[in-house]
Amino acid sequence: MDPILLGLIVAITTIIVLFSGVSVAIGLLVVSAGFLLVFDGVRSLELMPEILFGKLNNFALLAIPMFILMGASISSTRAGADLYEALERWLTRVPGGLVISNLGACALFAAMSGSSPATCAAIGKMGIPEMRKRGYPDGVAAGSIAAGGTLGILIPPSVTMIVYGIATETSIGRLFLSGVFPGLLLVGLFMAWSLYATWKSGDQRLLTAGNYSWREKFEILPRVLPFLIIILGVLYAMYGGVATPSETAAVGALMCLVIAMVIYRLWNPRDIWVVLRDSTRESVMILFIIAAAGVFSYMLSSLFITQSIAAWIGTLEVNRWVLMGAINIFLLIAGFFLPPVAVILMAAPILLPIITTAGFDPIWFAVILTINMEIGLISPPVGLNLYVINGIAPDISLKTILTGSLPYVACMVLAIIIISIFPGIATWLPEYVMGVQR
Amino acid sequence: MGSHSATALSVRCAKTGDNKFLKIVAGLSQLCGWAAAAMVVVAVAITCQMIFVRFVLNQSTVWQTEMVIYLVITATLIGLPYVQYLRGHVNVDLVPLMLGRRARYYMAIFTLSVSALMIAVMLYYGAEYWHIAYSKNWKSDTVWGVRLWIPYLAIPVGLGLLLLQLIADLVGVILKIEAPFGLEED
Repeated sequence: MDPILLGLIVAITTIIVLFSGVSVAIGLLVVSAGFLLVFDGVRSLELMPEILFGKLNNFALLAIPMFILMGASISSTRAGADLYEALERWLTRVPGGLVISNLGACALFAAMSGSSPATCAAIGKMGIPEMRKRGYPDGVAAGSIAAGGTLGILIPPSVTMIVYGIATETSIGRLFLSGVFPGLLLVGLFMAWSLYATWKSGDQRLLTAGNYSWREKFEILPRVLPFLIIILGVLYAMYGGVATPSETAAVGALMCLVIAMVIYRLWNPRDIWVVLRDSTRESVMILFIIAAAGVFSYMLSSLFITQSIAAWIGTLEVNRWVLMGAINIFLLIAGFFLPPVAVILMAAPILLPIITTAGFDPIWFAVILTINMEIGLISPPVGLNLYVINGIAPDISLKTILTGSLPYVACMVLAIIIISIFPGIATWLPEYVMGVQR
Repeated sequence: MGSHSATALSVRCAKTGDNKFLKIVAGLSQLCGWAAAAMVVVAVAITCQMIFVRFVLNQSTVWQTEMVIYLVITATLIGLPYVQYLRGHVNVDLVPLMLGRRARYYMAIFTLSVSALMIAVMLYYGAEYWHIAYSKNWKSDTVWGVRLWIPYLAIPVGLGLLLLQLIADLVGVILKIEAPFGLEED
């Protein structure tokens, strides 16, 4: 059979299987087993456990459970609330200081926890009631936190970027750096929209807030700095060439756990177990999808689908930006239904040859892909962040949260366009720090 | 699609009712969860020790890298039944949500049966793979030279326990102890 046609059949089958409600990892195994059985015979199934194990047999993968443990330790503490308060006290004189400090706290906490829903929950619990109390529109209060939370998968250290790095064999260090300026660009766009929407809502007094003494400003810093210093230390150790991402992640995880126990008095064994349980659940879920996606991509290349698609794209006479637009739409739709990690693992083996054949930079593409996934986090039907906000602010209707989030989706689309026109926003920093590739 | 951390002690997990079989399987899966969490913590500790040996004592390391990798693989495979018990393996529940009560019930039985069958096939070949490594005494091609049947043991054990939890979930749905796809009636 023509491998392109076969590829199409595999794609449709995968969609049907995944929509049946079966778990993503097992669904990928089912599709892989089915096609291997039909085209390569029963004996090919023998290889599946070996590939599953082999895919996990990789030191780079260690970074995933370690960074997740680090994030879970931080999320278990009051660090989010402290961070929010600190920014609020320091930024109080800035016009619209409250919404700006919320978004800033989201960006910083996103970097520390690496998880979008955890960021929404940590900052939103404090930030949303405060913004509403001071009269900010509900839509801005909910939307800014939902959108701010999505930064978790873009700003380093990001588990999503590690997964992309492993799936495409791209340098994780470069990927982390590529997310920095696009992350800041998004924060800037989010802030601009929040200020505009608040200003338009009519109450100009909102844009200035209360006063804090210098004493109040300084006394909160010791509670905020430890985690920030660890994160900066982890990133410094990685780029200083001291250690690999996995090694620095292990040290970071240990230090964050210790700080959570010492400074935030996480002594109760039950509380410590919650941190371990949540991080184990998340890590195992992701690692199982990685292993299953390894079997899936083995099936694709054993049936010559991956290779044929890349060759086929090479012969197509389409403008490469039309191609990129189509890929973006595909990613957006996939992101509406699936968690970012699953989309990356399934799409990477097929998309990467297309991207490189068309002359796009895989590091730049990682950023575009991640922003697409961020949109999925605040769009229905799955939109995890929307439900987190709904959970912490139950009296704001889901409709208000949704309409409040929409302008931020527009900001993300705008960011994708800006980064497409100026790819340097994503690629300059990794090249500056780690040198031009090849 | 709850897959992310929220710091609450209560969490969605498999319902067991008064059923003895479901309770035993749930207990086994929880045991696996503790084991997996402990292995991740040990892996963190060993990695830190490795960095200390290499950068502070300036000595070379022999067994640490391999040990840590095997620990995380084992934690993943042994953690599978626990994450299944916690309903932590993400899925797309859009179609099940749109289905009516009866259709959803049969759909859940169908997907759980297919999942169990798939894992049973993997278990069969995984056990075979382990047995070859054991009988031929395969060793890893590193300085440490681990007997590979030891880490490979995680494949049949992890998949076997996952199969058990999937069968328990199937029984739970059939006996109407657990709502199909964990979706409670509105």
